[in-house]
Formats: sequence, structure tokens, C-alpha cells
Amino acid sequence: MRASRLLLLFLLCGAAPAVAQDRRLADRLDPTTATTVQRVVDSAAREGLPTEPLVQKALEGSTLGASGERIVAAVGALHGQLVRARDALGGGASEAELTAAAGALRAGLPPAALRRLQSLRTGRPLVVPIAVLTDLVAEGVPPEEATRSVLDLARAGRPDDEFMALRQQLRAGREGGMPGPGSRPPLRPAPDPPVDQ
Amino acid sequence: MPADHDDETRDDTLRQAIAELRRPVALDPALEGRALARIRAGAPTHRIGSRRGLLWLGGALAAGIALALLVRPPTGSPARPGPTLATAGTQPTRAVLIRLAAPASSRVTVVGDFNDWDPAATPLRPVGDSGTWTVELHLKPGRYHYTFLIDGRRWASDPSGAPAAESDFGAPMSVLTVG
Repeated sequence: MRASRLLLLFLLCGAAPAVAQDRRLADRLDPTTATTVQRVVDSAAREGLPTEPLVQKALEGSTLGASGERIVAAVGALHGQLVRARDALGGGASEAELTAAAGALRAGLPPAALRRLQSLRTGRPLVVPIAVLTDLVAEGVPPEEATRSVLDLARAGRPDDEFMALRQQLRAGREGGMPGPGSRPPLRPAPDPPVDQ
Repeated sequence: MPADHDDETRDDTLRQAIAELRRPVALDPALEGRALARIRAGAPTHRIGSRRGLLWLGGALAAGIALALLVRPPTGSPARPGPTLATAGTQPTRAVLIRLAAPASSRVTVVGDFNDWDPAATPLRPVGDSGTWTVELHLKPGRYHYTFLIDGRRWASDPSGAPAAESDFGAPMSVLTVG
């Protein structure tokens, strides 16, 4: 019986490395870069972080012809952003939410904004509100103003479509000839729909 | 010392050892009796060859094989499904139409977080002679970075998409949010 248990342990240990192995890295990156990226991926897996965004970042670099050094730097930076995103949103956040939150932090949004958004959207997905918040900042809206607009929608319990509409509002404003963020009127959530009597 | 003498000495020692090993071993009659009694009673033993040991071995092998199959992606295919297989996932997917106006182009593909950045994976199809190229993706909720490859040599972001705040590798980049 002891021998069988040892065999089971051996099999489990033998299978464990397969969790971390990703053939895409070995197929698309040079051996040194693949090994280094794999270590970051393994580390993320041990920390309970999503690993797919890290693999995708490495594949992006490979397709775009980046050097191994640059790919490793980008993957390492993303790993750090995912750690900060998880610190902000907690271990219950989904992979998509953590990935979106990592992008938001990279865009310069404070973790407190993500935590506030999460507290206002309890039990509802955060991907779209976080993504819209990030996009607003990326398009030149000051982070404080973008955060206020998105939090207003979240506080009112609005659906994802209305967050997307907020971004469309900005784009429409820009395409309408507004010269720049400084002269742009403040973003406003859509008014409440009329209540049927 | 000559070699022949060495050989003779070694042979003699070996013969003595063999003779010693061949001597019958006298067992304690009480011990022999206890052992026979257990065999007759069918007491379980702990050898691997026993039924219980075989069950453990079988279970261990099955568990190991099952685990290996669960965690190892199939050979030759990525762990993440390509865009045509995205609907097979457990999460619901949404159809997203990707469109690019590229009238003077002969080939347009899109690469991104949804297709392992594989330039051959997702070609766009021309819409008549309009110069517009489209493809429909089925994506799970999330935020995706992507860019177009035109004629296999030029990268282009999506003019109708949200621009990415960051581009780690210098190419023009767009972001797509699926709710």
C-alpha cells in the first residue's frame, strides 16, 4: 500500500509541471525568452493570478517582432499590474476583471477608484465599467472626472450598455469638432428614463 | 603478488560464501506455525501484488492519467480556443463585427488577445467592391487588444475602435470591450 501511495505521489508530481507548461511560448519565442516568460507565468499561477494575459502579452510581442528583452519586460510589467489589480479587487475578481483592472491601473487610475466601483457594483460584473473608465482616461478625460462619471452610473445601478454610451458620448463629442479635453463639456450620465404612471 | 594467486584466493572465498548461503536455515517452529495459520485464515498482506495493493495501484494510475489529461492541452493545439471555437466555452460569448476600410489592399487580417496574435488565424473578407473588410468574432466578456495586418506588412489600428492607452511594442493598437 505504501508503494502505491508513493506511485500516486510520483504521478501527481509528474503531472504537476504540465499545468505550467505552455507550448505556445516554446513554439513562438526563442528558448531563453520562452523560459523566462514561463517562469513569470508559473509565478503568477502560484500566486493565483490569471496567466493567459501574460501569455498573450508574450505572443503579442512575438508577432510584432519585439526583442526577447522587451517581451520579458512587458510581461513582467503586466504581472506587476495584475498583482496590484488583485490587491485592489480581491481574490474573488474574475480573470477578465483583473485584466481590465490592470489596464486601468496602467492608465493611471488609482486603486481606490476600482475599489469604490466594486463596492457600488456588488454582485455585478465590473469589466465594462472598468474598461470604459480606462478608455475615457486614454482619450484624454481627466481621471477624476472620468471616475466621477462612471461612479455616478454605478451608484444609479445602470446596466453595462449605459457605460458604453458614456464612452460613445465622448467620441461623438470629439468627432463633432471639439478641440480638446480642456474645452470639452463635462461628461454626464444619461438622465433617468421616464417612469410609467 | 602474481595474478594467478589472486584469482585462486578470490575463487576460494567465493566458494565459502556460496556454501554458507546454501546452508539450510532452521526456523523457529512456533514462527512457522503462526505464519501457516495466517495464510489459512486469509489474512491480508501488504504486498503490491495483493488484491488491495492492485486496487491502489490501479487507482493511482487512473488518477495520474486523468490529471495529466485534464491539465495538458492537446498536442499541437493551443490551450485557448481560436475564434471559431469560442462559442464552445462555458461562458456566454457575444458576436462582434470587426470592420476596416482598406480599399487598396489585397489581404487584411486581425490579430489580438482573442487569437493568440496569429496573423493567419483570422482573415477579414471583402464586402463586395466597397473596399470594406469584415469578420465576425465570438468573444467572451473581457477587454481585448488588437490590431490589423494589411497585406502582410503594415500594421493599422481600428479607426472606429477605442485606441489603446498603451502599446508595449510600438504597433498601433486598439481595444475592444465585450460586456
